[in-house]
Amino acid sequence: MIDIRQKKRSYFALLMPAFLVYISIIIFPILMSFGLSFTKWKQFKMVGFVGISNYVNILKDPVFQRAIWNNIQIMLVSVLGQIPLGLLLAYLLYRKWVKGTKFFEMMIFLPITISSIVVALLWNRVFSPVGLYTSFIRQVTHNPDYVVTISESPRFAMIPILIVLLWQYTSLYMVIFLANLQRIPESVFEAATIDGAKESTIISHIVLPELTGVIFTCSVLAISGSLKSFDLVFAMTGGGPVNYTTVMALYLYQQTFTFSNYGYGSAVSIIIVILSVGLISLSNRLYARAQKSIN
Amino acid sequence: MKQSREKKISNGAVVFSYLFLILFTLLTLLPVIWMTYSSFKPMGEIMMHPMRWPSNPSLANYKKAFEFGHISIAFLNSVLYSVIATGGTVLLALAAGFALTKFGFKSAKIYMAFFTLGLLITVNSVITPLFIMETNTGLYNTRIGVILPYIAFGLPTSILIAGSYIRGIPDALVEAAVIDGASYTAIFWKIVLVISTPVIATIAVLSFLGNWNEFLLVFTLTSGQNMRSLPVSINSFAGRLNQDYGLQFAALVIGTIPMFVFYVFAHNSLVKGFGEGAIKE
Repeated sequence: MIDIRQKKRSYFALLMPAFLVYISIIIFPILMSFGLSFTKWKQFKMVGFVGISNYVNILKDPVFQRAIWNNIQIMLVSVLGQIPLGLLLAYLLYRKWVKGTKFFEMMIFLPITISSIVVALLWNRVFSPVGLYTSFIRQVTHNPDYVVTISESPRFAMIPILIVLLWQYTSLYMVIFLANLQRIPESVFEAATIDGAKESTIISHIVLPELTGVIFTCSVLAISGSLKSFDLVFAMTGGGPVNYTTVMALYLYQQTFTFSNYGYGSAVSIIIVILSVGLISLSNRLYARAQKSIN
Repeated sequence: MKQSREKKISNGAVVFSYLFLILFTLLTLLPVIWMTYSSFKPMGEIMMHPMRWPSNPSLANYKKAFEFGHISIAFLNSVLYSVIATGGTVLLALAAGFALTKFGFKSAKIYMAFFTLGLLITVNSVITPLFIMETNTGLYNTRIGVILPYIAFGLPTSILIAGSYIRGIPDALVEAAVIDGASYTAIFWKIVLVISTPVIATIAVLSFLGNWNEFLLVFTLTSGQNMRSLPVSINSFAGRLNQDYGLQFAALVIGTIPMFVFYVFAHNSLVKGFGEGAIKE
């Protein structure tokens, strides 16, 4: 007979290693972060509680406001750039109008393996005065003095970073969409083609309805991914020039590790958590409502 | 059948597909190819003729990178961190996935929801307290202090993937083994782990890639040259303030090659992992 006590013991023995690691490294620090966010630090020592003044100061800081705006730009490029482009690439590969789709897929997916640090430094070289992009533009426009100046512009400094993000992550969505397209039965397409359906009809009546769920999942991935961007920006610009390209995670990093202001840094991290939970539950709700109105 | 289908495809669609896919492939590959051949050029040639093939290809940049950058130790650290943390994540996630799907205890649902919550939490939301904790416990600047967070951050996704796979293993299989007198631990090692090989591959490949390219944790939780991983080391000796472009290119190529090799062998598992990770809808 199965001994229920022994079963329970095995259950916990299997579960606890993962649970303890998870609790002590993710859950406990989050709670600690919350506590710390109400404190002030000087010279690596806590000097007292300051209530919500960290939060107030963060939200009032123009640098943080800039960081939020930059994160929003990253989010827009991810949701409105990477996802549609990835979908288009996946569709072209899925329809197999070209030969060598496997080759194209493998080459386009390749940046996913390169570390963001390498990607950042490589693109800095590409855009530099002796870079691939600069030399190409010089040859095309016959202007030997051309240099990339947009990264110095207060309004458009993020653009090089946004281009690199498109380069780096579009293929991730391509692969996700391709895997989901391949689950649509071939016969559905054949029936539609035999009936003489136009490509646009196939896309709007078969493909997009099949993929709405995945498009939503990808948007959530893209949103949460944009809020945590750090590596690429850190290695590419370090947030400069004069904070033009700073993002929330970079702001947090500077507060904690450059100024040793652990309380303030913790408050920034709590704001990031609240924003991502809020945005994801908002998009969940919008999705549920959209589903309802369709049915 | 096939004939009639092919006739329906307009030339426009074919031409557009080729143009678009070729353009995208070129945009992807050109910077990487340029980086690779530039790494064999001396600084002067990079400045004078940025686009040209090296006239006198040399390994001088690589020699310098290995001398100044302590690349060998960084490479070794990257291997240690990635392999041990991936092994840890796989083992803990499968054990938890087994416990949460095949034991039928009521608390399993709560634990599962609790782990899922972790998907929302990113490294930067815990980095400040983690740094304070590690300095106070002596884990700061140690390898275990890097590996433990790697395992922890791999768990939420891995437990979800492992759980949904193990759920599909027939209950009868586990029950039969229990009746035969096998302990649950034995069942885990001898049945669950063996049956789960495909999903182990997926989890391992995804965690390995994530761990290998991770930057923020190693960067903030270690300080010594001896603890640095490849991305951190590359950023510190060949970062954006470095003026020796030849050295920088060599460093970037060194940072890329291991993952290229990995990609060639793990491409299918990677595509499967990323692709199917998002299917769960």
